[in-house]
Amino acid sequence: MKLTCLQENLAKGISIVGRAVSTRAVLPVLSNILLATEEGRLKLAATDLSTSITCWIGAKVEEDGEITIPARLLSDFVSTLPSAQIQMELVTRTKSLHLKCAQFEADIHGIDAQDFPLIPSDVDDHKIGIPPSVLRQMIEQVTLAAAPADEGRLVLTGTLAEFRESELTMVAADGFRLSLRKAQLEEAVPEPLYVIIPARALRELARVSVEEEEPVEIIVTPNRNQVLFRLSNIEIISQLIEGKFPDYNQIIPTSYGTRVLINTHDLMRAVRIAVLFSRDVANIVRLEIIPGPDEEAGRLIVESAAEVGQNVGELEATVEGEQMEIAFNGRYMIDMLNVIGTEQVILEATNPSRPGILKPVGDDNLVYVIMPMHIKK
Amino acid sequence: MPSTGVAPMTRRHILHLDFDAFFASVEEILDPSLKGKPIIVGAPPERRGVVASASYSARAFGVRSAMPTAQALRLCPQAIILPPRHKIYGEYSARMMAILSEYTPLVEPLSLDEAFLDVTGCKARWGSPEELAHQLQERLAAELGLTASIGLASNKLVAKIASGLEKPRGFVVVPHGREAEFLAPLPAEKLWGVGEVTAGSLHEMGISTIGQLAELPAAQLEARFGRRGRDLHRQARGIDDSPVVVEREEKSLSRETTFAQDVGDPQVLRKKLLVLSESVARQLRRRGLRGRTVKLKLRYSDFKTLTRQVTMGTPTDLEQVIFDQAARLLDKAWDRATQVRLIGVGVTKFDTEESQLSLFEGAGDGRIEKLRRLSQSVDRIRQKYGDEAIRRG
Repeated sequence: MKLTCLQENLAKGISIVGRAVSTRAVLPVLSNILLATEEGRLKLAATDLSTSITCWIGAKVEEDGEITIPARLLSDFVSTLPSAQIQMELVTRTKSLHLKCAQFEADIHGIDAQDFPLIPSDVDDHKIGIPPSVLRQMIEQVTLAAAPADEGRLVLTGTLAEFRESELTMVAADGFRLSLRKAQLEEAVPEPLYVIIPARALRELARVSVEEEEPVEIIVTPNRNQVLFRLSNIEIISQLIEGKFPDYNQIIPTSYGTRVLINTHDLMRAVRIAVLFSRDVANIVRLEIIPGPDEEAGRLIVESAAEVGQNVGELEATVEGEQMEIAFNGRYMIDMLNVIGTEQVILEATNPSRPGILKPVGDDNLVYVIMPMHIKK
Repeated sequence: MPSTGVAPMTRRHILHLDFDAFFASVEEILDPSLKGKPIIVGAPPERRGVVASASYSARAFGVRSAMPTAQALRLCPQAIILPPRHKIYGEYSARMMAILSEYTPLVEPLSLDEAFLDVTGCKARWGSPEELAHQLQERLAAELGLTASIGLASNKLVAKIASGLEKPRGFVVVPHGREAEFLAPLPAEKLWGVGEVTAGSLHEMGISTIGQLAELPAAQLEARFGRRGRDLHRQARGIDDSPVVVEREEKSLSRETTFAQDVGDPQVLRKKLLVLSESVARQLRRRGLRGRTVKLKLRYSDFKTLTRQVTMGTPTDLEQVIFDQAARLLDKAWDRATQVRLIGVGVTKFDTEESQLSLFEGAGDGRIEKLRRLSQSVDRIRQKYGDEAIRRG
């Protein structure tokens, strides 16, 4: 292998695939990044066996070849190099990669590319197209409700993706909150498709697709155990999570007793303040919804109390329905308000121990369901 | 659980004691030449300090707590500024609390220089509540050299307001049944929880005294201030059921073991972890507590100690859950090369009052429900036949 590429391109490629490198690798080769020439370009790939990221960068290839190099050293080395041309040559005898950039030269010992797990790439089933900006926003708005990777039931660490006709619905739920977002696909799918994708893979997808302009292609392997996201020069392949996702339609309330329409920013500030006081008591924030003489003159009182002290915030709001007291985990509210994306939000509640709803005003595609906290009277 | 004063059903005698100009008075004791002079304890004006405490002769010039020191000096240029010595004030405070606890175990410290006492049952030994209050004032003056003001009433709210009325060396008694009458002429701001904002809203409603507030219908206050409105209505009428709370609640529960010989075998550590988790879980269930955070403590043969913790979405009192989390922490924290001398498991962040409800209502958590039923059965067997009656296979 012998080639020349630009330091900026290589550094960027490494940072894209680097996140898939195993932090606690079972095999030494999984701590490495694969470098291989492919059709006149340089292919970089990394995998932790659950998620794999591949990326192609421009290069002037003089001689084909492949090798794997420790990710950490390669990444730190390349990102520190000056912005100039990098010459790379594989020394087959010592299995090391010789790199030369401006006045710097280095040899990095690698592991044979044969030992690197095969990342399937020529998956060719039905392609589903979606604009990258829409996909990114969906991921941001939905994955926040997924359970942390090392906690809870496996299906809940994933995000349900339902492709039906020309609509994609993504749902995540960790048992205390649920988020659901719908979006239109470029064209209808021939038959409905339901898969559970690890939230982590989706977050990586959102991260690497920032500069993408072409629609992202989504392909589910025929045996339904992997999903491939294809961008112009990047591919992410993730294992799918097996199991049955809870029936979200049963969880989302269809009616309400009290409905509050309020400025997103004001509510966010009030909840942030309340959480400062309730950090040590599970972030509990009490909301008191008070209807006014007419709907526009209602109020929402946001308060919290703990050993450190207490606080009260009083906000103007449009209130429809009954007076109500309800408590939520303030962190959950902040997570949601952060990405809700509209100037005003709607909060709906039925009673203090039934799920509440938080949703943007003027956008029917996004719904958050949030389970209250029990408060002792 | 905290031990509390007498149930509010019976007629209570609650005493609120507050030292007069505490920091400044301690400084006078330590340097008698300062006695009677205007003293300000606080950071100097060039460091943008504020007044932490001012002696009464400084207060005569209008100096008040929390005022910028620079402003205080303009009001009283001859004032002597002393830097705060919190360690010494803490010692005096501890001596005061020790004296108070000789009279009743029901002492609730509110800050360094004030406390509530529930003296309801003290008559046989210490005389009437009034006599007891006088004794306290005298003893604190004789033994610490400090003067205190006392309010005596049927509840904490009224006692605290009473102690502040006739400072220094004040002693204000509010007889049972006269609470509302006592509060009526006082400004509404005297009530707990009536800050500037609420006071502003009250003024808009034409309310300035507690008496006026007491006359408003509860419903009107509730419509304006919500749940707080109900509290305001009660407070304005001198009603307060809150007990004198003595102990802080238990904050954590843990068990640890030091090995007779240092251990490097992961199986031995896991086994011990399981035994400790069981013991912690049993204590939790016995006390009706559930914790959200599981802690692991490891001490290596070189005495280096580390703790790791993980916080879960749902609080637990189950050994299996505690053990799973602790074992996971052990896997992450322990390098396997170092010998372990001590291992411990703890649970903190108790949820006694508030708990997060589940979206799936236990539907998905069948395993947890089964574990809970199992643990309860085991607890019952052990209670009946002893700890050794049933064990893990």
